[in-house]
Amino acid sequence: MAKTQRSWYSGMATTEDWWSVWMGLAFFVLGLLTLSGIDLVGWVSYPKIWVASLPDGAIVKKIVTMDKAFYALGGKYSLTSKAFYKALGPIGSILVTYVVFTIATSIGAYFQKWNVKRFLAGWTIIFFLTYLVWFIGHNAFFAASAVDLKKSHFPVDTFTLSLGGGASFILALIVGLVIGNFFKPLARYLSEAAKPEWYIKTAIVFLGVKVGYLPIKAVLTGAKLGAHGAEIGQQMAHLTFELFTAGAAATIVAYLIFWPGVYTISRLIFKLPRKTAAVLGSAISICGVSAAVATGGAVRARPVVSIMVSALVVVYAVIELVVLPGFFTHVWPGTSDPIVAGSAMGMAVKTDGADAAAGELLDEFMRAKVEKDTDGKVVWMPGVITTSAVMTKIWIDMFIGLWAFILALFWVYKIEKHEGDRVPLSEVWFRFPKFVLGYFAAWWIYLAIFFGPGQSGTTPDGLAILKNAKVGAVAVEKGMRKLFFMLTFMSLGIITDFRKLAEAQFGKMVWVYFISLFLFIIPVAIIIAYLFHHGMQIPNMAGVVIN
Amino acid sequence: MALFSKFRKNKKGKTVEMILDHDGKNWTVSNDSITLAAPSLDSLDRKVERALEEELKQGQSINVFMSFNNEVIPMWIRPYMNHYFNRILELPLQYQS
Repeated sequence: MAKTQRSWYSGMATTEDWWSVWMGLAFFVLGLLTLSGIDLVGWVSYPKIWVASLPDGAIVKKIVTMDKAFYALGGKYSLTSKAFYKALGPIGSILVTYVVFTIATSIGAYFQKWNVKRFLAGWTIIFFLTYLVWFIGHNAFFAASAVDLKKSHFPVDTFTLSLGGGASFILALIVGLVIGNFFKPLARYLSEAAKPEWYIKTAIVFLGVKVGYLPIKAVLTGAKLGAHGAEIGQQMAHLTFELFTAGAAATIVAYLIFWPGVYTISRLIFKLPRKTAAVLGSAISICGVSAAVATGGAVRARPVVSIMVSALVVVYAVIELVVLPGFFTHVWPGTSDPIVAGSAMGMAVKTDGADAAAGELLDEFMRAKVEKDTDGKVVWMPGVITTSAVMTKIWIDMFIGLWAFILALFWVYKIEKHEGDRVPLSEVWFRFPKFVLGYFAAWWIYLAIFFGPGQSGTTPDGLAILKNAKVGAVAVEKGMRKLFFMLTFMSLGIITDFRKLAEAQFGKMVWVYFISLFLFIIPVAIIIAYLFHHGMQIPNMAGVVIN
Repeated sequence: MALFSKFRKNKKGKTVEMILDHDGKNWTVSNDSITLAAPSLDSLDRKVERALEEELKQGQSINVFMSFNNEVIPMWIRPYMNHYFNRILELPLQYQS
C-alpha cells in the first residue's frame, strides 16, 4: 500500500512530526491545569546531584545523599499536592513517570503503525537505561559546580569536573554509541523505540514552555529582590523576543550564503553532478536530512541520492554534537558571548536532534564554566543558551518547504525544462515542520499568561497567577524536557553506526561535507552569529541564587 | 511571473490520479488501469501521454496528479521528512522546439 501525502491533514495521526505536537501539547495542557489549582504533572521524576556520603560539615542542599538522588518535582513545587508527590519517593516517582510516558508513547506508536510490542520492550529498556545513566551522571564528581559545592558547605578543595547536567547527556550518548556500534543485535532490538527525532521534537515543544516560562521564572525569582524582580522578568521576555528576531538572520545565512557556497564547492572543486550538489548543498547548509529529502524531491533526483546524503548527515551531526559544545565553550566564542555560541550552534548543526542536544550541552558547559570562573558571582538561568540554539534552527527549518518549492520551480522550468510539469503549492505545507506549531503555541500561551492575567508580575494578583503557572511549567519544561533530551541522546547513540561511513560508497561526498562544514559553515556561522547576537546578555541571577 | 504562474491549477480538463514511485532503476507511475516505467521522468511523461492518447485525441486536456509513494523513503529517514514530492503533469505536453 503506497503511502502518499495528498491532503493538508495527511499524516496528522500517523507521523512522528505530528505526534510530537500531540504529545507535547497534551502534557503542556496538563501543566496549564495548575492555573486552576489542579496539579496533574508533579509526578515527573528529576535527578539531584548526589554523593555516596556527605563529608564532615557538609549539608544536604544542592547536593544530597544517593538515596535521595531522584524526586518528584511536585514534591518541591506543587502548591496543592506537595505531600502526595513527596510521598512517591525516588522509586515511586520514576515508576509513575515510566507508566505515564509508556502509555503516551505507546498510543503514539500504535497510531504510527509501529510494532507496539517491540516498541514497548525497547522503550522499557531505553527508559530505565536512561534513568540509570541520569543517576550516574549526577554524581557530584561529574556534575557539581562551584556554586553547588559552596551551597552544600563542601570543603573548598573538593575536586569535581563541574559538567553540570552535561555529564549525563555525554554519558547517555556514549552508552548509546557503545550499543549502536558494539552491540548491534541489541541496537536492532531497541531500534523500534530509539526515535531521537520524535523525542527531540517533543522536547522542543516542551522547550516552547520553557521560553514562555523564562520571564515568569525571572519575575518570581527576582521578586525576592523587590521591585527589581519585575524588571528582570521584562528583561527576560525582551531577550526571548530578541533571540527570535535575531534568529531570522540565520535563515538568510543558511539559504543565501551557505547553500550557494556548498553548491559551488561541490560543483567546482569536487565536480559533483548538479542534482547531487543541490541535495548536498541543502543538507550541509540548511537542515540536514529533512533538507536532503526535500531538495531531492524538488530537483527530481533519484531517491537514493537523498538517502545517501542523509546517512552522511546523521553521522556528521553526531560528530558535531561531540566536538562543538566543548569547542565553543573553551576555545571560540567562549563564555564572553554565550548567545553568539548558541546561535552559531543552531546554524552549524544540521539535525534538530543533534542541534537541540548540542545546545543543551553547551548550556550546561557554559553555565558551569562561568560559575566556576567567577567563583559563583555570575549565574545564568538554565535554558537560555539552548533556546538561542533552537530558535535559530527553527527559523531555518520553517523555510525548507518554501525553499524546496522555489528550487523545484527553478529546476523544473529553468534548468531541466520539463514539459507539462507543474509544482503544486501544497508542497510547501507537506514539507513544513509541524512540531514548530507546538513550540510556538506553548511559548506564546505562556507569554500571554505572563503579560495578560499575570500582569508581568507587577501586582500581587498577577504574581499569584504566575506562581500557579510556574508549578505546571516547571514539571514540563524542566522534568519532561530534560527527560526527553536524555532519551534523545541515548537514542541518537543507538542508531548511529560509524561503520556506515566506511562501508557506504560516499566517495567525494564525505570530503565535500568535511571541508564545507569545518572550513566554511562553522566559521561563517560564528561570524554571522557574532554580528547579529553580540552584546546580548543573559541576566545575572547570582544575587538571587546565591545570597 | 511566467515562472510562478506554472504552479497555478489548470482548472480546465479532467484529473487522473496516479502513484509515482522509483524502483531503484526506473521511475514508475501506476493506477488501477495502467503501470508505466521509464529511466527518466521526461520519458515517463511521454509514455503517460501515449497511454492517455485516446482521451487526448478528443481534444480534452488532462491533469495527471502524481503523488509520490513515500514508502520509498527508508523508515529511519521518515521522522525527519516523510514527503518526497508530488507533481502535476499537464497533458498534452507542449513540446519545445
